[in-house]
Amino acid sequence: MQHLATPIPEDAIAALHVGDTIEISGWILCGRDAVLPKVVAMVRDGTAGQLGVDLHGQVVFHTAVSPAGVGPTSSNKLEIESSIAPLSAAGIKIHLGKGALHPETVAALDEHNAIYAVIPPVTALLEAKTAERKVLAFPELGMEALHLIKVDRYPAIVGAAHGRSIYE
Amino acid sequence: MSDNLDLTALAAKVRDALVAAGSTFRADKKDAYRRAIREETDPKARWVLETILENAEAAETNRSPLCDDSGIPHLLLEIGDDAPVTGRLLDAIRAGVADGLRALPGRPMGIMGGDRERIDQSGGLDPDSAGVAPAPLLVRRLPGPGLRLHVLMFGGGPAIRAKTYRVFHKHDAQVVLDEIVAWATDSVRQLGCSPCTLAVGIGRSHFEAASMMLQAQADGDYAVQSDMEKEITRRVNAADIGPMGLHGKTSVLATFLKVGPQRASGVRIVCLRPACCFEPRIATAELLP
Repeated sequence: MQHLATPIPEDAIAALHVGDTIEISGWILCGRDAVLPKVVAMVRDGTAGQLGVDLHGQVVFHTAVSPAGVGPTSSNKLEIESSIAPLSAAGIKIHLGKGALHPETVAALDEHNAIYAVIPPVTALLEAKTAERKVLAFPELGMEALHLIKVDRYPAIVGAAHGRSIYE
Repeated sequence: MSDNLDLTALAAKVRDALVAAGSTFRADKKDAYRRAIREETDPKARWVLETILENAEAAETNRSPLCDDSGIPHLLLEIGDDAPVTGRLLDAIRAGVADGLRALPGRPMGIMGGDRERIDQSGGLDPDSAGVAPAPLLVRRLPGPGLRLHVLMFGGGPAIRAKTYRVFHKHDAQVVLDEIVAWATDSVRQLGCSPCTLAVGIGRSHFEAASMMLQAQADGDYAVQSDMEKEITRRVNAADIGPMGLHGKTSVLATFLKVGPQRASGVRIVCLRPACCFEPRIATAELLP
């Protein structure tokens, strides 16, 4: 089990391989279908700095944030998976979700020294590991707004790294 | 007759059932997980199974959601000999559902607005957990006295990968089973949140097949499996999809199959729902003795 804390350095990501188990701590971003395309648009427009968070070394957890808690939604949904390559290029190091990604996405992760990690949908356990949560942008989206949460040892398995996928 | 009923107490039973459905594994499901953990040889697969069971224990203790997609309430009402089912009683059930969603708490994912806004989600989200309306009520006869309500919470992932379609059976049940296995293998691979419980209904129309699929979940028991159910489970598990798709022998815990009346025709309508690792999320309330 390897422990990672945000911001995650480049060499820590380069050392990870498919099937490795990891634990993630620190402040991480949360977003899914509705908000990730908006964040990608901000990156393309050069306005991502308005988010107030440095994307370099960050984690994006593909989840809503609601009173019911957090838990991964399918990362291969169109609007989510299409965010992975541009957000990796912008500095995101770990995309946290579930489900198999397309080969071109796996290749894009490798190109930017980023990984995809699979997290079990264990909302009740994750609740005990989540200390704080706040809306970072697009509050009108409610539970689908871009959130920042502080987590302690979220468990995950590396699902894609160095051009390989655990789903092969 | 419903004037004699304590509708407030009845709504409280519905509320408690909904919270239990969203936060609790039934005993036979826990046993199925323990059995799978014993038999699973892939370490990553076993870790996922153990983590899901640990999550279920935590959710039950805390009476908190098993999954952040707390689900859409689906209700099956079983009506006994002289049960007084009235409009006010249905209102009380609806009130109990709303109270349960707030108590769980359910994810506030009701979409507001008119038809067009609800389709494209432009009307915004209702911030109230109780803004998630239950699906249309399904009713069937309860042999003997009483009034019983099954509350099932349906998540979005299985809905995306579910399928209802016709199968030409060629006067051979094996043809239909083969098609179910093919559909299930494909849908379980896509789901992400496996191990699944495959809920299957076979009927004469899409409506009937879907209602059979729901009843299959209400009636299913992990410890009691027919030969057809065992065959479907065994063949899908042979695909090495595994928990969360990470490989292993536990892609499916069980299959719950319900076959309804059929028509004189070469076609059967099959509804398959790859219920996720937490489903069926179900609890039952005895509303009247």
